[in-house]
Formats: sequence, structure tokens, C-alpha cells
Amino acid sequence: MTDHTFAIDPENYGLPSRDELVELRIWDLHYHGLGRHNEVMPYFERMGVERVFSLDVARLTSGGESLSAAEAEENAKENLELLEQERDRMSGMFRIDPTRVDTTLELIEKLIENGPCVGIKTGTWLDEPITVAHPNYDPIVRKLAELEAIIYIHSGFMVGGDPRTYYGGTRVGEAHPGHVAELASRFPDVPIICGHQGADWELGIRAIRPHKNVLMEFSGMDPESGAVDFAVKELGADRLVWGCHAPSRSFSNELSKVYDSEMTKTERKLIFGENLRRISASIHRRKGISVEI
Amino acid sequence: MDRRRFLKRSVMAAAALGTPFTLTAGNQTASDIKMAAWASGNRSGAVIDTNVHLFCYPFRDLKYGATTTLLDKLRRHNIGQAWTGSYTSLFHKNIDHVNAKLVKECREHGSGILIPFGTVNPVFPDWEEDLRRCHEEYQMPGLRLFPGYHGYTLEDESFKKLLQQAAERGMLIQVVVAMEDERMQHPLVEVPDVDVSPMPGILARVPDARVQLLHPFRHVRGDHLRSMIEETDVTFEISNLDGVAALERVMKGNHWYMPDLTIPPERLLFGSHMPYFPLENSLFKFMESPLSEKQLRLIRSENAERLLAAV
Repeated sequence: MTDHTFAIDPENYGLPSRDELVELRIWDLHYHGLGRHNEVMPYFERMGVERVFSLDVARLTSGGESLSAAEAEENAKENLELLEQERDRMSGMFRIDPTRVDTTLELIEKLIENGPCVGIKTGTWLDEPITVAHPNYDPIVRKLAELEAIIYIHSGFMVGGDPRTYYGGTRVGEAHPGHVAELASRFPDVPIICGHQGADWELGIRAIRPHKNVLMEFSGMDPESGAVDFAVKELGADRLVWGCHAPSRSFSNELSKVYDSEMTKTERKLIFGENLRRISASIHRRKGISVEI
Repeated sequence: MDRRRFLKRSVMAAAALGTPFTLTAGNQTASDIKMAAWASGNRSGAVIDTNVHLFCYPFRDLKYGATTTLLDKLRRHNIGQAWTGSYTSLFHKNIDHVNAKLVKECREHGSGILIPFGTVNPVFPDWEEDLRRCHEEYQMPGLRLFPGYHGYTLEDESFKKLLQQAAERGMLIQVVVAMEDERMQHPLVEVPDVDVSPMPGILARVPDARVQLLHPFRHVRGDHLRSMIEETDVTFEISNLDGVAALERVMKGNHWYMPDLTIPPERLLFGSHMPYFPLENSLFKFMESPLSEKQLRLIRSENAERLLAAV
């Protein structure tokens, strides 16, 4: 039984009530709780979240070893069963390997075209400089676009390198928002989600700004006051989607980013769920899941 | 530091709430500060925020960076008292000017909510005079130290001397472990996070020091956190205690990435890291975690009251 009682009256502290959170119809694009699902999900019920997107249903590597698409599917058997059981409140996505395009396309065919998943996430650790700007992504994105699947790109401008630069901390093969922009310019009609606010949001938001098909998701980083205001100003509320990054991050962190921002209730609803429902309604309907936007 | 010693000190500090105060600081006496703390903790569940800063953050204009805007925000969210440092402490060398400006701003515009915490850099010449001024002239109840920005480690003799002298004056010491995610720092300003591992050994030699870590949890984990919990009575500010229902789970010893580590509620203090972080971040923790009334009261204000009461 989920505990819906709070030690505080939220109104006394300028916070929304649970009823208000439920009314927002929160869809969480960044769920990492699959391994401890039964332990994590009660907190989602407590906070009134309507649907989560698990990003870890399957992956093409295991313990540093490359897997075939069939092996990846076999390894994902339990997750796929859980996904079926939880279809009313959980959607599934999986990790691709852009260094192996044919294998990635095969897994997309198995798990999205003919399976229950609705999209992919990038961000597997790579030794090769195959970021999302690399041409390897072209056939992958074309296939995903054909299926109207969700494309989530792990991305970050991170300081580092020698000499230190604004972008030098981004790993080999890891995308930053500049790479996302390159990919987006090749597929201007395909919705692409730039994840993790591009790490350094002041730079990341500007990098994707000209590309109207790119949405920003800002989970997994520290909450910084003013970040979402800036994103709304530069991108518009209709280009933002919300993720919780549970369980390693928190509702407190991720909700506060939005509640720190000055916006209308309509804009808040867009960010917390409506935008994600809009771009995923079609693929969900293909899976027999009706979506009221 | 065992739990028995921690609780004994807590009881002594709580008892001190009833003792008179004689020091004065312009419009605000130390007694005023203590009474404000007492009142704030009992006024409709008002919060004591132990980690707020004023003035310009060096790398960005912050939304709530102006004092009046910050105060409005604090009031709207039922923050009754805010322990306040200065962002200008990070890089300014004239640290006395920083402290004087902070105390003036808090007195003239703080509405009794902003309690100034000065800074001393123990590698600067004549730092003992800065400490004296903070205590005797500015009547500050505590210090906020920035070892990462000020070029010393906790192993340095100068830090130990500062801790000793601050303890002799009965001042609370806040050690700022980090200010921002190191992956987002300016490339020309590489600030190390503070290594707190020497702290248990130091505190064993300065047993009267009262130390609070600010913004600690991104880096103080594992054995370092364990030794801090088990061997000291250091307290922890919660602004970057992250993870789903982190408050509940860290008190139960089943936090997602700090398993088998239990932090008693007596060791946790509300802090927002405002205005860099949204105030709502720390407040939402009171919703996200199922908490007992006692846990809530301790973290929201009573632990902070207890620490100030011993000043």
C-alpha cells in the first residue's frame, strides 16, 4: 500500500498538493528503476506520476561484451514480461550500439517494430568516436522515424580536457548538444530529445535552439535555479519534456526545476507530460495503448 | 564520536536555549538571533534554512540573487530563518570587507530572517583578526569556510588552528564541500571538492568544535561518510542529498547508492543552497519521503536551533 500522507501540508510551504500533481498528468521520460521496480514504483504513486518510460529494457552490451540482437532480446525477457504487466503505466525503451548499425536495426525490428518498446536511448560507453553526429546514425534514425519511435540522446557539454575547455570533458563517443544539433539538421522533421539538459544548460540550450525538431529533457543533473526559465525563453515550453532519473535522482530535484520557473499552468502541463504524449501518442497507439493528449 | 556523546551534547545545547545572552551587534543581539531561531522553529512549522548566500554569484546572475527578491521567496515558502553567507567570499581577498558588507545587508534588509555567517581564510595574513571581528564586532554565530576556493585542505595546520580558535569562541563552523557540479565549472576555474577524510582525526583533537558540512553528499559518501557519522558529531545539510525518497532512506540505512549507512535524523539539517539551487528542491524532500513528525521537526528546524543555542 502506497503511503499518500505527507508530514507537511504542502500548501504551507508553497508546494503543490498531490492532487495538483496528479492533475498535471506527469509522464516521466527517464526511469532507471527497473532493477528494483517494486521498491521504486510506490514512490511514483505517492507523487502522483501517471507513466514512466524505462530506458533499460534491453542493451546490446553486457559486461563489456557485445551481444547479438537475439542475445539482447533473450537477456531482456524478464524486463519485457514486466513491461507487459505494467503497460498501463510503463513504456519501454532500450540502448543501442551505434558502432554496429545492422545489429541495432535488427534489435529495433524485434523490440519496436514487432515488440512492445516505443523508443531508444543512446549513451552506451564507446571507445570509438561515434557520436550522434556520425553517419552511422542516419539509417538508425530513418528507421526510428518510420516507426514514429522516441529518440532519446544522452548528451552533455562538460568541462575538461587538457587544456581545459568548455567541452573537453565529454567522453569519446558521448554526444554533446552540438552533435545533437548536427543530427537534427539532417532530420529536420524527426522529433529528437536532447537529454540531461545537455549538462551545461546555458550552452546546451543555445546549441539546439535553432533546431525546432529538438526537444530538451533536463533530468539527471543538479537543479539550478533559472535553468527552466532560460529553456522556456529560448526554446518555448512546447520543446521541453520531463524526466525524474529515478532512483539515483529524485522528485525533489526534478520537480523543483520546473516549480522554480515562472510559467502558466498550461505551460507546466506541457512540460510535465503533454509534450511527451504528443510525440509518443502514435507509437503507443501502435502498441494498443491509447493516449489522451 | 558515539551516539551517546552526540546526544549528550544535544541535550546540553537544548538546555542552553534558556540561558541569557549579553553580546550585542548593532540592531541585533546574539540573543535576538537565538530567539528568532526559537520563534521560527515554532511558528507554523517555519523552516530554518542553513545554507543561503547573498550577492553576486561569480559566474551567473541568479534569479533570486537580489536580497529583496530572495527574502520574498523565502517568506513565500515559510522559511523563518536563513543562515546566510556571501558569494563574494569565494574570490575576494579583502575578506573583512566581505564580512562587513554581509552583516550590514543582513541587519538592514534581512528582516530578522537572514543571519550572517562570515568567512575566514586561514591562509591569509592576520586571519585571527578576521575571526575576532566576525565574533566580537559582527556578532556572527558561525563561520562559513570554503577550503576548495581558498587554497587549503583540512589537513593544513592553518585549518586546525582556525577550528580550534573558533571552537574556543563557541562559533559554529560550516564547511562548504562544494558549490556546483564540477562538470559545469568555468574551464579556467578548476575548484577541487573538499576532502573531508581528515575531519574525524582533527575533531578528536578539537572535541569542542561544532561542524556542519554544507552541500556534502555528492562527494562525501562511503567510508568517508561512515567515519563522519560514527566518529564525529558533524551534522549534514541536505540540499544535495539526492535519490528517490533520500531523506527517508538515508535514515533507514537503505539509500540507493549509500546502502548500509544510516544517518540519524539528529544529524540532518535543512539547507537549500539558495539562490543557486531552487528552494523547492529541499522543500519537496519533506513531501517525497514519508517522515514521522519527530523527524520532520528535527530536520526542519530543531537541529538548527540546537546548534545555534550553544553559541
